[in-house]
Amino acid sequence: MATESPSSARKVVVHFRATGGAPILKQAKFKISGTDKFAKVIEFLCRHLGRETLFVYVNSAFSPNPDELVIDLYNNFGFDGKLIVNYACSMAWG
Amino acid sequence: MHMEAQKYVWEGAIPLQIHLHESEVTTLPPPPPTLILAPRIGYLPLLVGLIRPYFSSALPPGVDTVWFEYKGLPLKWYIPTGVLFDLLCPEPERPWNLTVHFRGYPGNVLIPCEGEDSVKWSFINSLKEAAYIINGNCKNVMNMSQSDQAELWRSVMNGSLEGYLRVSSKLKLVTIEDEYSMKMNFSSKSQQGNGETNVAGQPKTGRIPVRLYVWSVSEDFDDLEDAPNIDSWDKVSFINRPVEIHVEKGKFFTLHDAVKMLLPSFFSDNPLISDESPKVDRVDKTEMSSDDTSNNKGRENLSEHVKSSSTTRNAEIKLVRIQGIEPKLEIPFSWVVNNLMNPDHFLHIYICVKVPEANTT
Repeated sequence: MATESPSSARKVVVHFRATGGAPILKQAKFKISGTDKFAKVIEFLCRHLGRETLFVYVNSAFSPNPDELVIDLYNNFGFDGKLIVNYACSMAWG
Repeated sequence: MHMEAQKYVWEGAIPLQIHLHESEVTTLPPPPPTLILAPRIGYLPLLVGLIRPYFSSALPPGVDTVWFEYKGLPLKWYIPTGVLFDLLCPEPERPWNLTVHFRGYPGNVLIPCEGEDSVKWSFINSLKEAAYIINGNCKNVMNMSQSDQAELWRSVMNGSLEGYLRVSSKLKLVTIEDEYSMKMNFSSKSQQGNGETNVAGQPKTGRIPVRLYVWSVSEDFDDLEDAPNIDSWDKVSFINRPVEIHVEKGKFFTLHDAVKMLLPSFFSDNPLISDESPKVDRVDKTEMSSDDTSNNKGRENLSEHVKSSSTTRNAEIKLVRIQGIEPKLEIPFSWVVNNLMNPDHFLHIYICVKVPEANTT
């Protein structure tokens, strides 16, 4: 799509961290396409953990809205070459 | 003046005509549509309490899960109502005819919504995200007292700008001084409580949180009435990219500069756009001071300006709309940010782009 800069085609390393007693993933780091929306990250986590709902955060701080692109989140909030995504079964950070 | 424009934004409302979807009508005759005024900075689920009484007697038995639809498209409830209207009605429709559903929530298109709590949660998270962009962390929002948070939310729900400013000033989220207003000596009011802004005209971080809604069309249209409908959310690109303001001495960083920065691929072939249109100068800036939120005149100037600034190979920007206004692209971006941002501290910008046929494949 013309509205996406070439950099959005790249993959982003997402580092998942369980919080508040949520089950831990066997593999914590995944490469996710930058053009995917955050909704896909949530979906991915729910599927892997067999849960219908999860609270998913970036940098132990806030929940992005589901339309946000993974590449935008990485560019805005990523560091050390990865995007930190925290997940919890109940609300962790209001 | 600064406050005045902000007040217009906060008082802005869209007349809605709400229809109950025919599949949920159990009475004869069906209930008539209802008219309601929806605040621009508000969110659709917050209207449910007002709408439900009109339709409750006509509903089939079951549990309510309320959602809204426009021309078959389920509406994302966490997008401010004004942004939805700007995005989905290129030619503003008044009243805006929406369909309400109380059954059959389209969970494949929309994330779950449990009424006001979900909306508040989404709003606070958006505010935290904006704070993170501005300050590099969102401690100020996270450390807000319960009562401040409640007051902030109440002021957004009730459209109380005063109450909002009282609490939000504690969050220290000022990104940039309004260079334009400052030159006009209108700066004093808005700067109370922003002790951290040190030098006039100097941004704290210079990073402005922006949510961009880009709608690319391939067919051309001269009249907005002829614009095709957005019948799927896949046709909208959601871009969240902060604008970093570069202040050059003696020059405004304009909305045009910001748009160029947000969508570099559209301007890559033509880096000297602003130099090509020297006609947009002092005159326009002065004019703006007396007529800051008018748009009718702006539309013609904008399209004229946009045409001159797009190359034949590149995409063409057809429309830039913020808070229902089609601002001139020569407006200082700091004015746009300080006056037209939403209470979540994001500037929501809708841009319609015509992509050349060859590029769409």
